[in-house]
Amino acid sequence: MRIGIDIGGTFTDFVLFDEAAGSLRTYKRLSTPHDPAEAVLAGLADLGLSPRNENRLRGLEIVHGSTVATNALLERKGAAIAFVATAGFRDLLAIGRQNRTRLYDFLADRPEPLAPAERCFEVVERVDCRGQVVTPLDDAALARLAEQVVASGAEAAAVCLLFSFANPAHEQRVGRALAAAGLLVSLSSEILPEFREYERASTTAINAYVAPVLDRYLGRLAARLGGAEFRVLQSNGGSIRAHQARREAVRSILSGPAGGAVGAFYVAQAAGFPRVLTFDMGGTSTDVSLCDGGIRVTSEGEVGGLPVRIPIVDIHTVGAGGGSLAQVDAGGALQVGPQSAGADPGPACYGRGGVLPTVTDANLVLGRLPADRFLGGAMPLDASAAEAALARLAEAASLTPLPGLSPAQTAALGVVQVANAHMERALRVISVQRGHDPADFALLSFGGAGGLHASALARSLGVATVIVPPLASTLSAFGMLAADVVKDYVQTVMLPGTVAFDELEGLMRPLAQRGLAEVAAEGVPVERITLAPQLDVRYRGQAYELTVPLSPAFADAFHAEHARAYGYSYPDAPLEVVNLRLVAVGSVPRPPLPTAEPGNPDPAAAYLDTRPVVLDDGLAAVPFFDGAALRPGHRLTGPALVVYPDTTVLLHPGDRAAVDRHLNLIVAVGSGERGAVSGER
Amino acid sequence: MSHPIRLEIFKHLFASVAEEMGVALRRTGHSPNIKERRDFSCALFDAAGQMVAQAAHIPVHLGAMPLSVQAVVQAMDFVPGDVAILNDPYRGGTHLPDITLVTPVFLPSEGRPFAFVASRAHHADVGGIAPGSMPIATELIQEGIVIPPLKLVEGGRVNQGLLDLLLANVRTPEERMGDLRAQLAANATGARRLLELVARYGPAEVQAQMEALLTYAERLTRRLLAGLPPGVYRFRDWLDDDGVDAEPVEIAVSIAIEGETATVDFAGTSPQRRGSVNAVYAITLSAVLYAFRCLLGEDVPTNSGCLRPIRVLAPEGTVVNARPPAAVAGGNVETSQRITDVLLGALAQAAPDRVPAASQGTMNNLTIGGWDPRHGRPFTYYETIGGGMGARPGRDGADAIHTHMTNTLNTPVEALEYAYPLRVQRYEIRRGSGGAGRWRGGDGIRRDIELLADAQVTILSERRVFAPYGLAGGQPGKPGRNALVRCGAEQPLPGKVTLAAQAGDVIRIETPGGGGWGM
Repeated sequence: MRIGIDIGGTFTDFVLFDEAAGSLRTYKRLSTPHDPAEAVLAGLADLGLSPRNENRLRGLEIVHGSTVATNALLERKGAAIAFVATAGFRDLLAIGRQNRTRLYDFLADRPEPLAPAERCFEVVERVDCRGQVVTPLDDAALARLAEQVVASGAEAAAVCLLFSFANPAHEQRVGRALAAAGLLVSLSSEILPEFREYERASTTAINAYVAPVLDRYLGRLAARLGGAEFRVLQSNGGSIRAHQARREAVRSILSGPAGGAVGAFYVAQAAGFPRVLTFDMGGTSTDVSLCDGGIRVTSEGEVGGLPVRIPIVDIHTVGAGGGSLAQVDAGGALQVGPQSAGADPGPACYGRGGVLPTVTDANLVLGRLPADRFLGGAMPLDASAAEAALARLAEAASLTPLPGLSPAQTAALGVVQVANAHMERALRVISVQRGHDPADFALLSFGGAGGLHASALARSLGVATVIVPPLASTLSAFGMLAADVVKDYVQTVMLPGTVAFDELEGLMRPLAQRGLAEVAAEGVPVERITLAPQLDVRYRGQAYELTVPLSPAFADAFHAEHARAYGYSYPDAPLEVVNLRLVAVGSVPRPPLPTAEPGNPDPAAAYLDTRPVVLDDGLAAVPFFDGAALRPGHRLTGPALVVYPDTTVLLHPGDRAAVDRHLNLIVAVGSGERGAVSGER
Repeated sequence: MSHPIRLEIFKHLFASVAEEMGVALRRTGHSPNIKERRDFSCALFDAAGQMVAQAAHIPVHLGAMPLSVQAVVQAMDFVPGDVAILNDPYRGGTHLPDITLVTPVFLPSEGRPFAFVASRAHHADVGGIAPGSMPIATELIQEGIVIPPLKLVEGGRVNQGLLDLLLANVRTPEERMGDLRAQLAANATGARRLLELVARYGPAEVQAQMEALLTYAERLTRRLLAGLPPGVYRFRDWLDDDGVDAEPVEIAVSIAIEGETATVDFAGTSPQRRGSVNAVYAITLSAVLYAFRCLLGEDVPTNSGCLRPIRVLAPEGTVVNARPPAAVAGGNVETSQRITDVLLGALAQAAPDRVPAASQGTMNNLTIGGWDPRHGRPFTYYETIGGGMGARPGRDGADAIHTHMTNTLNTPVEALEYAYPLRVQRYEIRRGSGGAGRWRGGDGIRRDIELLADAQVTILSERRVFAPYGLAGGQPGKPGRNALVRCGAEQPLPGKVTLAAQAGDVIRIETPGGGGWGM
């Protein structure tokens, strides 16, 4: 039996996959932020997998998406760390790239370095760019350093010496000395042997900072789940064994969102859409990513304002979601977010004292969110509170009601349109700004708030198809189970492009051997392991590289990729081979999706009732359907609203939807003209 | 009052046009200056050349870009497929390395441009007497090739003669070509995106929303000004020298706040100088826009509307409105910072709880050029170095950071040592350099670079004599220091200098600390 567990801010989700029976089961319970393990253990007990029952746990594989590392970093609750650098460079973390984060804000500050100045140390030594020692490292100095670091009160240390990726000997000696003194040590030459010292130092410091926290958490969990095999989803969308994850904690820094992307891609691919934009609109923020036949990773990520240079799933986040507050600013523009009502007081319609209208309130006032069926009817909403909040907004904005609509409804339509403008911009960042046309992709919506916005967004972006999976709210946990074992390696070499292929192959060999051995050690049979050796290449003098497969014709491949990505190439210009990269993938058996053969297209059995709903061009009587009662083959025509237990989907006029064999709602987006902007004066 | 919902939606739409131009430029740019240091800006303009939206990168480009567009509009008639180029500081430019490309955007059936998009990028070399084109010069002509507003592309065809002439006058023509191509790609992206908006919303609506966004920014600026106590606020400060003559250079300003409007008058400022500290009017306008823009808050769109209620008087022939043939390289990078300092010094009297003490007030421009024996080819390294931020009311100033008119990134030490025959010995916070006060000024940086080959070194820096001021009783920050260490002996260097250095020499730059705030 395999279990995927995703710990979110509100819920901890479980997806059980019984390989023998081929069955899939989902479960969720409230998270326990003070100790996330509590909800995990309680949930397992609810599922009959009590830690006291050793036999039940044997043979069980748990894949875990952990926000423990993420939260330790974002909330600055990591370990007390020391930072050790080459003499002259101990302020590396504080100086960063010497730029400021906000151009026009006198009061903005950069994020504080993870190691404060009094715990930043330096050691006399120097290696040059070819890895040759310019200044040797002195043993006596090393002993003094270890004493100082221990005296500083640090429990862990990050070591980043200049050019350690070209010659790690000094860094390793520093590491041994500090480890001997009882510190948990992270070496930059092990975490990220890649040039650009600040980004390498930052990645290493994050590792040192979150590793003790993740280590304690996973240790506690493992101790109570003795018989089970325990794995952690990494930020690159692959899983690794817990004991490995504890050492390389930075690799699980975006574990949860990565699970969402893996799950979304798996579902989209199974539905026949390998090119998909994933759209996860939650209460306070929205995550989007792009899959182009596979999950896309980036090594230019940032978490909490700090660079993370290990490959992470390329996810773009904007601070707008269902709980975003709408208000009129001093210049008379109607703004939505970035402030959010959060869970408390929450939107006005939660009836807990929220006064300002949110996107959720707007949807409620438009009739798009049935007050009596929110979260399966478990949480009735206060429509009059939402109405009042939006009426106040309409007045503040001096909106003239659209024909047939109340001022509150007119304002609500505006709030939804402005929220969509945020979402559209986010989706453009992840597609257009990465060189892709959104029209070539489907849009997969998961997360509670997305279903009401997906079809309108698809229209604006020229996207033809929207997919809403039935697993929507547990997709991240499901993604944990669908994730392969993925390990990536990098090594800066900085060689001229004229380097012989044999030499590159020779340099790649140790990486390949390591990749094979480490993926095999994760329990993957060798025949299921694939290795993808790659090169980062650039024109000499360029500042950024393109990644191409390692082959004798890598130069041609680079010119072609450059022409594709940037529109031109210089076939005669000299090249530089900057980094070797290796991605080692061990494929795991994926859980099958629930499948049923399509039947009768008439969704009458799922029909609930018909209610008035404000659509973009005015009030209409719109049929409501019960999403849980929809069966493969059912067809719906917009306008319609499909109410699932955890999300609601709006089909606009012209949309046509069908339920596929995996119970996904596949929406063919109508090509109708975009509705007029509301509230014309 | 414009429509609140449309306004917000179009704010996003126009901003993403400019943003996508910026991404295209950075992705396709060839030189480290563009890709690594991000020394460029992109913007969208209406038919009258008013800047509607800008991708925020470099504040000194802010007020200057609309003047570039206006200069090309005055200089030529357009047909679809044209792209104009310029860098002439006296005709729409600022200093020669900043090359601007302006593309008119036409609707299918119209003979006049509907809008403009423009990109401005700092090119690592545009010729002149020193590699990097930031020399200690006395005439514009020494600083590089001067490009008046001309058509680089005419009706879709590249003007090859112009391009050949241009590339024949720079030191690294391939890299220039790559960066120009990237700017063309950025402009094409902007034009295409704008036409998509027109197709989606109609030309009348797009045009109306451009104006709505300008009046929105204007309204917010008027509101800001109305909230300041009326009065005339004066401030003056000095540049150390002009790099040729030792005499300090005075910048004086008076800001008169009257109701919803302001008049910024630079009367009393030094006449233009022989050295290159002369700023053209565009730079002065950028500094004015920046100073008021910072008081507006981060979420306000930066556009020409912000300047509508503000009148700027910069007497011709002074260092804040130089006339030909004055050299200008330092006006853009150094004088721009001092203009900002005097503007904020004056505004601090009107809004004492919102304006920080003086920041480092310089960009510490360092250029090292010569022959790289390792690779057997010439090299040019250009860098600006951060310093101390002025203390803020209620908060210390940040250490080791770029402030005000620039925000470029550093070159990583490991990237630099691969690329150039240089070794960085030290790159650290210059502790104790920030001015004391209730809130402490940020500390500057110390950067020591050892030359592994003989090279020509040019330093263009400021605040080596006149320290960054403190406010409300705070102490000034420590001035910066430049030095040459040869055979272990340290010799001080002036703030602006060109020297022939030898292998083994160490160039040491210590950047100024920020002023303190309060006692």
